Amino acid sequence: MRILKITLIILLLIPNLLFADDKFERNKITKNLRCLICQGQSVYDSDSDFANSMKILVDKKLAEGFSENEIYEFFKEKYGDWILYDPDLNKNTYILWLLPILIFLLGGAIIIKKLKFKN
Amino acid sequence: MIYSFVGYYALILGLISGSILVYFSVQNFRNSEILDTKILSLSFLQLFFVVVSFFGLVLSFVVSDFSNETVFNNSHTTKPLFYKITGTWGNHEGSLLLWLLVLTLFIFIFLLRTKNQTIKYKTLTTIFQQIIIIGFFIFLLKTSNPFNYLFPIPEEGLGLNPILQDPALAIHPPILYLGYVGSSIIFSSALAATTLKMVSGSWATHIKKWTLVSWIFLTLGILLGSIWAYYELGWGGFWFWDPVENVSLMPWLALTTLLHCILVLEKKTILTSWVIILSIATFTLSMCGTFLVRSGILNSVHTFANDPERGLFILIFLFVLIFISLFIFFFFHKDNQKNSINLFWLSKESAIILNNWFMMYFLSVVLIGTVYPIFLDVISSKKISVGPPFYHKLIIPFLIPFLIGMAIGPHLKWIKSNLESKKILIFLLFISILISYLIVKNFDKNLLVNTILISSAFYLFFITVKDFFTKKFKNIAQNIAHFGFSLLILSILFNNLLSSEVITNLKIGESYENSKIKITLEDVKQRDEKNYNSVVANFKIISSNGKINIMSPELRIYNQPNIVTSEADIKTTLMKDKFIVINLVQNQEYFNVRYQDKPLMLWIWLSVLLLSMGGILSFFKKRI
Repeated sequence: MRILKITLIILLLIPNLLFADDKFERNKITKNLRCLICQGQSVYDSDSDFANSMKILVDKKLAEGFSENEIYEFFKEKYGDWILYDPDLNKNTYILWLLPILIFLLGGAIIIKKLKFKN
Repeated sequence: MIYSFVGYYALILGLISGSILVYFSVQNFRNSEILDTKILSLSFLQLFFVVVSFFGLVLSFVVSDFSNETVFNNSHTTKPLFYKITGTWGNHEGSLLLWLLVLTLFIFIFLLRTKNQTIKYKTLTTIFQQIIIIGFFIFLLKTSNPFNYLFPIPEEGLGLNPILQDPALAIHPPILYLGYVGSSIIFSSALAATTLKMVSGSWATHIKKWTLVSWIFLTLGILLGSIWAYYELGWGGFWFWDPVENVSLMPWLALTTLLHCILVLEKKTILTSWVIILSIATFTLSMCGTFLVRSGILNSVHTFANDPERGLFILIFLFVLIFISLFIFFFFHKDNQKNSINLFWLSKESAIILNNWFMMYFLSVVLIGTVYPIFLDVISSKKISVGPPFYHKLIIPFLIPFLIGMAIGPHLKWIKSNLESKKILIFLLFISILISYLIVKNFDKNLLVNTILISSAFYLFFITVKDFFTKKFKNIAQNIAHFGFSLLILSILFNNLLSSEVITNLKIGESYENSKIKITLEDVKQRDEKNYNSVVANFKIISSNGKINIMSPELRIYNQPNIVTSEADIKTTLMKDKFIVINLVQNQEYFNVRYQDKPLMLWIWLSVLLLSMGGILSFFKKRI
């Protein structure tokens, strides 16, 4: 067990070795953008004209030094929340993000209340 | 025309025999010494009528009878025979007729195969099932009649959406429906058992078979849909957390939970309320899925308004069923345990409850993620998208303890057990962490999360492999299923981590080259088929190890309706898939080319097959 703990601590201490690769950044961002003219596809997955021009736009913004979040903000302002696959946590989405967690906690509470566990 | 005529009247006869069936079942329920033979014959008769009606529609499609509105909307004379037939269930009306067919088939088999249960139970199950069946009959006849007559008779049909003209998608709906609709039997018999206060161990054994049947078909149905999406939709993905995919996952999660929970009921006659709730929830979720997909509410809330009648009918029907179930549950069900149930921390029961807890969480994530955007749109007309990042963020952290629980759970004994002699379990955990750390380190991506996640998947993998040897054939079904699941998670993770792709534009004769690969567009050929013309591009692909592959993706221009689709070319090998797809760029001479190396794709499909194999084994084991 001691070895286990030590290994876990070492693992936690190792820094995240992400290197900034342009293509990687671009793919990560475009996977999170909805292709507005397609049905249920991300910009990354789609080859439509719309998606292709979006990809070019993302590249341009990255070259201008925009961060990932700034790019999301930019698109959100232009097209609305609909374009982001990863919805922000705001007053519209508190229920979306927190209700599953609440259900999980509630489930745990019910289990503990209804069943008596012994050692 | 004659086929549509026969089909229509067969439907009405089916509805009538349903009503008579209810009458005799109620009679038989009051005086239940022997099962009235009329019930079985009427159930058969009803099935027969629905089969006749179904074949009426199939034949209308085969002979391209355009006086039938459904055929006119979904078929065309130039379509190959195979797709004329499968077009029968590739539309709203036909697929609902298929629903009805499966509903009547299942109750007939249920009556035929159920031997050791009381007559009251059988007749009551029949009554509940007939309520569902009659509801669907009325729904079909009133709002979605597959046999509407058109006059003047059109010369030619409108054709079937080309992306549906595909072998995998042709058999995907029937298999999926067997799973969806199969859960109706669980629903009806759970209600019957609750009313008669016979939810017990022996009932659990009896209903487990039906749960397994639904579960197996649903698993295979989802698999087929996923394979189809992979090669037909042209982006190389197999699961997008799209609402239409999610609605098939929800009943699957509920069924899987039920399958585990029933084991506890079988052994100890506890958790009766929970089993009933799950049985009701499973079918309700299947119906919600059908409602969401069929009403068109999913793509946009506003398409709902175009055909409010259908959506409204099924919604009201759904509420009626839920109301009936809640009424029966609260009125008839008395939990026989007044005091709380005593369990030991380390026992199989606790492990299964842990499984149920997590599964319900996963279910709530999928449900809320799918339904919440619709609600938000209705309430505040704000549109948001909920996509893969949402599901990954909420599911992955919980998947880690879940996988470890899946590895340890089956090792625990019923009632009480201890883990002192289980040093090997801890040893394997250590090995898994080490291996996945070494693997992930080489790829530099999100080290911490991936290491922990892959560790837990490896942990389950090693333990299930070990069990194949140490446990011999005891509980082999469970072992295979859990092993399949670990393989599935591992394959998906490595597929995500190790996929690589090239996106480029190429003219004929040009090539693209990087350190790993050289792609040359050699030539382009034209090909004419009956229902489409296609442009086939031949690519020569040279990998870094010198291996040469010729791959030929296609662009198909379908004639009816006039739609262009891209057909990917996929070379599947044991360890990885090569995937190539082309697209036309408007007013340009070049093609947009997307090439992907996708490791372990085959293993994703195989592991799901293993998973369902576990179910199949468990099904047959109990029958002997």
